Amino acid sequence: MALSHNNVEALAPDQSSLDAARKLLKAASWPALASNGTGLIWGECQGSGSTPYRVVVSEVDAGYKCSCPSRKFPCKHSLALMWLRADGKLTFAVATVPAWVNDWVSRRRGPSAASSASAENGSKASIKATGSAIPEIKPDPKAEARSAAARERNSREREDAVLAGLDDLDLWISDQLDRGLAGFAAQSGPVCRVIAQRLVDAKASGLAARLEGLPARLFSLPEAVRPAAAIQELGLIHLLVAAYRRLNEGQDALPSGLKADVRQAIGWALTRESLLADPDATRTRARWRVVAALSEVQADRLRRLETWLWRETEQEAPRFAVLIDFVPVATGAASSGYSVGDRIDAELVFYPSALPLRAQIAQSFSGAESSEDALALPDRRLQDAYQSYERAMIRQPWLDVWPVSMTGARLRRHGSQLFLCDSDEASAPIALALKSAQYSLATPLLSFAKLDAIGLWDGYYLNLCWVQTELGRWVNV
Amino acid sequence: MNITTLKTHALPALLAGTGRQPLSFAGDLVELASGDAANAALNALSLTAQALRFERPLPPETFNAEPEIHDDRHILPDPMRRPLIRLLKEKRTSDDLELALAWAFGRSKVRPHPFDLPRIDAFVRAHAEHLGLTAQHWAARENDSTAQTQSYFEAEALDETTWAKASLAQRANFIADRRKEDAAAARALVEAIWAQENAEARVRLLMALETGLNVSDQPFLEGLAKDRAPRVRSLAQRFLARITGNAAESPALKACLERIRRSTTGLLKKRTTLALELPATVKEHEAKGWIRKTFGEVSCDELARALELTESALIEAAAKDENLLLALALMATQDRRLDLLEEIAGGQLKDAWEQLGRCGVQDLGLMPVEERLRWAEILIRPYSAKPPASYSAWSWLHRSLEGPVPELLMEPIIRSSRWITGLLEEQKAGSEWMELLAAVCPISLRPLLRTQLESLDAPLTMTALPLLDILESLKKVGHHEQ
Repeated sequence: MALSHNNVEALAPDQSSLDAARKLLKAASWPALASNGTGLIWGECQGSGSTPYRVVVSEVDAGYKCSCPSRKFPCKHSLALMWLRADGKLTFAVATVPAWVNDWVSRRRGPSAASSASAENGSKASIKATGSAIPEIKPDPKAEARSAAARERNSREREDAVLAGLDDLDLWISDQLDRGLAGFAAQSGPVCRVIAQRLVDAKASGLAARLEGLPARLFSLPEAVRPAAAIQELGLIHLLVAAYRRLNEGQDALPSGLKADVRQAIGWALTRESLLADPDATRTRARWRVVAALSEVQADRLRRLETWLWRETEQEAPRFAVLIDFVPVATGAASSGYSVGDRIDAELVFYPSALPLRAQIAQSFSGAESSEDALALPDRRLQDAYQSYERAMIRQPWLDVWPVSMTGARLRRHGSQLFLCDSDEASAPIALALKSAQYSLATPLLSFAKLDAIGLWDGYYLNLCWVQTELGRWVNV
Repeated sequence: MNITTLKTHALPALLAGTGRQPLSFAGDLVELASGDAANAALNALSLTAQALRFERPLPPETFNAEPEIHDDRHILPDPMRRPLIRLLKEKRTSDDLELALAWAFGRSKVRPHPFDLPRIDAFVRAHAEHLGLTAQHWAARENDSTAQTQSYFEAEALDETTWAKASLAQRANFIADRRKEDAAAARALVEAIWAQENAEARVRLLMALETGLNVSDQPFLEGLAKDRAPRVRSLAQRFLARITGNAAESPALKACLERIRRSTTGLLKKRTTLALELPATVKEHEAKGWIRKTFGEVSCDELARALELTESALIEAAAKDENLLLALALMATQDRRLDLLEEIAGGQLKDAWEQLGRCGVQDLGLMPVEERLRWAEILIRPYSAKPPASYSAWSWLHRSLEGPVPELLMEPIIRSSRWITGLLEEQKAGSEWMELLAAVCPISLRPLLRTQLESLDAPLTMTALPLLDILESLKKVGHHEQ
């Protein structure tokens, strides 16, 4: 990835960080600047103390580390180093990677860790290289059995706690039904918070998060739609509860993907390590394009960073993928490091699901390269795209957001609301409303008769992410 | 069980509350109750939810009609789009940077990319008239859905049928140009729309009638004696006085004459001396503004005739009064009498540039570019190779010229790095100065200025260098167009 000013801007937690970084763009502030020639750059920045801060940046995925005590991520030193690289005015001498840089690379969990570290394998310290024999540790069967039993016991206890929590949830939903859902939205804040806390205690964190975020979702909709939306949301939650209960009772022979969906939705998280170690997980190596980079602050003070990818290579695999990262809001980090338009060659491993969408990068084969190329979107009307959403809902009824791609669409305006429609008047009447936050940004698209687009449909609004027009690409940034 | 059953039987009960309106498991819904009675309501909820989720989003009955805008301008090249947005979003950029960009867009007949308009909204709204038709439409659009469809025209495309729909500046320019060809026809156009215009528009259009002012305008001007706007009445009176040759009746001229004291000096050769007496209520810092206001509506010729002096004699008589010289310089600029201005700036008022700068931005009206540059050269020449290191003076010159300053000014300070170094060391100049230098630099000297700027610390040139890049790019696209 060639670092650009756009990357620096996107990564900066706030304007003041950029302003502070700007002041460090003098050559005098950097006694040492170096690169390994394969995507790692590092430098020493003279701060107010006697010891300069050590800064390292991976150009592959814009990962960074600085020894300063700043609580902003990235700090001004990391931003300044990236900025200097993007400017290209100062020379980064090609040098051997120092130990402190190697140390950071080896501890990295991100996608570039493998590629960056492998590039440095030649010089990296290795225990095997010492020649001394490593004593083989024999597993203790009794200890293993004990820990397996403990794991089993914990799991069973959690299952019991979750099931008890779901009983409470059923009761709570029944109470809401008894009162009626016409006025549910108005009082949803406090009542949802209480049941969400009980579900957290019951270790059903997925459902708890869903209920915690429900009032915000309802209030983002027009008032007239809220009662029907409350019915949909609570109906989906009950559907999940019923599916989980049946799974647990061994009654239903749900497909394995759907089983995984149900368990994840309830709160059984799958760690990155487990996913990477899963031999049955869907893996796809392809060229991917970043079509959307979204950032949203959750109720638990974590920022959810979504990077939506479109598969460019023609092969049998999911067309879309989404990388989801969570970072504490306090760090100020607001970007995953990828910019819209970036192209990456990577192997993705998908979380098990009836609709594989969420993924992790198992291995990157190249850094992210910024590209202005258009996407070869398949010829598909808006109506067909909507049908793909309906088919997806059939496969996974509690689907939240579904990526849709379409060609020959047209943006139209009704009052201060924008709608995406088929440009072909003969098509069945269907119009996807755009989020009101996109009104200003998307208004210039009104003048185009035909648009090829990618968006995220959440059942109420389309979040338009990528549009190809005769005047080039429009992105939601 | 189908969707209709769920919506007619289950939905009302779910909304109203099953406590108040129990679910009736009649018809198709019987199977819900037979399966698991305890969870029947919850199951009905889930099924109704699914039924609602599969409802297709229908379009509204009507959509707004969008205007078709034929904007023939070239679009800013893609590589310059991000730098432009970055520059205009930068909090600390000056107004001069925005103005330089807007004027460069206007001169080169290039427009910003339509997708960038929302991102540079404030800039577009402030300078739409220079940015092409699409930008004008963007700036005029209202969030209100009932926004009326409006027409937008490039200045060159205006004719007698469309001129009234253009922006005020374009209309004033159109009328002034039309006056040169057919004064009566141009006045007739103004008369036709006069009643619908607001005060500001009436003043601007009346000012445009100054070109080719003649006796046939008299009835129209006399009719303006009862206009609601005092500025219109005053301007009309001034024009009338000029037509009838009875300039002394002009209230503006009377006000000037009241403040000028005339005396004679010299032992052997008696010379007329003029002095300007500022009203006691005008404080020192308000003097320049008062001079501009008082003398702004009077011409040199009118004043000279009223004082029974020739114009040269008038300047000579005012030689010892800096304020009166400044007033004469203002009048000479307004009358486009560069010969008189040269006499004033080359004689006693050597710092006419800075003095005029303190009076506020000079509206050079319809003065062509070459004449503007000559005007600026007259002001610059007395400074030789040592122009003032005053940001406000440079900024004033930039705004008055609405474009780059003459090479005469820039060349000496760019060829030697001493002036800029002095600026940085003595004046503690920051990036805003470098930005201004980039904004005012003539095209031919931009490579030299770039070399100078590149030798400075990056924080100083963070906005100046991208500004140069964009201005260069605009020039290239504009040149390609020609």
